[in-house]
Amino acid sequence: MSDPQILVENFLNALTAGILVGCIYGLMCVGLGLIFGVMRVVNFAQGDFLMLGMYAGYYFFTGWGLLAFLGPYAGPLLSAILAGPVIFAGGMLLHRFLISRVSGLRTTGSLDEGHFGQLIVTLGVSLVLQNAGLIVFGSTPRTVNTPMSSSAWVIETHIFDSLVFLNKARLISSLLAILAAIALYVLLERTRLGRSLRAAADNPTAATYVGVDVDRAHRIAFGLGSGITAVAGGLIATFLSYSPFVGLDFVIIMYAGVVLGGMGSILGAFWGGLTVGFVQQFSGLVLPPQLQNAAIFVVFLLILLLRPQGFFGRSAERA
Amino acid sequence: MLDVTGVSVSYGGLRALTDVTVTVGAGQFVTVVGPNGAGKSTLFKTISGVVQPGSGSIRFQGQDLLAMKPSKRAHLGIAHVPEGRQVFKAMTVRENLEMGAYPEAGQRDWARVLDRIHALFPILAERATQLAGTLSGGEQQMLAIGRGLAGAPKLLMLDEPSMGLAPAIADLIFDRISQIHREDGLTILLVEQRVAEALELCDRGYVLETGRIVLEGPYETLAGDDRVRRSYLGLDA
Repeated sequence: MSDPQILVENFLNALTAGILVGCIYGLMCVGLGLIFGVMRVVNFAQGDFLMLGMYAGYYFFTGWGLLAFLGPYAGPLLSAILAGPVIFAGGMLLHRFLISRVSGLRTTGSLDEGHFGQLIVTLGVSLVLQNAGLIVFGSTPRTVNTPMSSSAWVIETHIFDSLVFLNKARLISSLLAILAAIALYVLLERTRLGRSLRAAADNPTAATYVGVDVDRAHRIAFGLGSGITAVAGGLIATFLSYSPFVGLDFVIIMYAGVVLGGMGSILGAFWGGLTVGFVQQFSGLVLPPQLQNAAIFVVFLLILLLRPQGFFGRSAERA
Repeated sequence: MLDVTGVSVSYGGLRALTDVTVTVGAGQFVTVVGPNGAGKSTLFKTISGVVQPGSGSIRFQGQDLLAMKPSKRAHLGIAHVPEGRQVFKAMTVRENLEMGAYPEAGQRDWARVLDRIHALFPILAERATQLAGTLSGGEQQMLAIGRGLAGAPKLLMLDEPSMGLAPAIADLIFDRISQIHREDGLTILLVEQRVAEALELCDRGYVLETGRIVLEGPYETLAGDDRVRRSYLGLDA
């Protein structure tokens, strides 16, 4: 085995892992993209929605074993998808009782558009969720361990005969992530409900004038954003171990992804997440794991320097 | 059709409207004129439900508007074209019109109403896929009116449609409003600072000053009033 072969093999595997993990990060960022990018609500509890999605996946499949009968492939994946509606409902409730007091029509036209209030409230919610998670779920790291977590499809390439390993859990999860992101995109762009959600975020007062119940629209959008990130959490749970404080690691890179992609663009948020996954996997080639998140932020800063509006950011204001 | 009776509104102790009564009959063109800060926009916001009155009643076709959510009112057939246009900036022109058609009546008549809007404002057809935020002020105003019409409303409320527009564009907007009233028989409630044009169009007018109706009546009464002629029309009494 020669040196260039190892190099090429490492490169190709980082590339594929970057794409696979990136797609799931993309979905995770799409959830925040809806809440932060489109609705302009600062939400620091988003990482904890991800964590709840991971634990929902764990309890549905391993813990309570409700979906264990579906087998090691469909079981964990369906558990991840089921995390969506559960956290969707939780997000709607949270919005109804807390978030709506610091966002939407109540803060339209105020100087900070409610961002200060949202910052404090969601940081508080985040702390509550993490510590409640610690009490309820315990501090033992969990995994949704299945045979597919540790098995891979092997592709032989013709470049130095190097082998590319496609982790089964990651591959199937990333395909599901793409499907979920497309489903949300179609919902937002092509349906009456989706249009009303975007209108309510764009101009709440005008949305009221055309007959949209803005409070309800904001509640649904917040629930959707929460649920989507939770699905991503359930998918990540199929190949990563986690504890109740895992959200902290993810919430910052979620924001990086959303801003990278461009505020207000769902498609952009997905690309932003993909970029983050990519950079993370590639930096693993040359950097120690502790510096992977640092690498993400170096790239983040570089892109902001070169293209401050993000990949897909578009200015809708007349210059 | 619309009966605003004895409505008073305060913003944190400041009286914006005092005992305002305005009546709009079916098929009428009614204008409310008055200087800046007289409470004209507040009157519209109160009818749409964005501002809550302290007292008084508002009825539309016999239904009590104050008893229902603001978002329900558009579904009754009230279209509010707000001051400053307030288009959905990050959505396309077409999507803005589709949002205007959010009420059931708009859904039902979509094809017919869209043709009508495009006939009135051909530029909106040309720019269908452009983001509304990138339109010029005049185009945004046309879009805002188009969005109002898209709901196939019974009452069209227009808040200062000429504000910030070049005179030629403002004239065009007034022409179209008058055309909508004449040809479609739509009931219109118009608030304007360009008093001469606004009064010329209307069947009935109200003069609102510091939150009170100081004068009301048909065009002839208002145009013949010495104070209106001096203060608003710039004519000798």
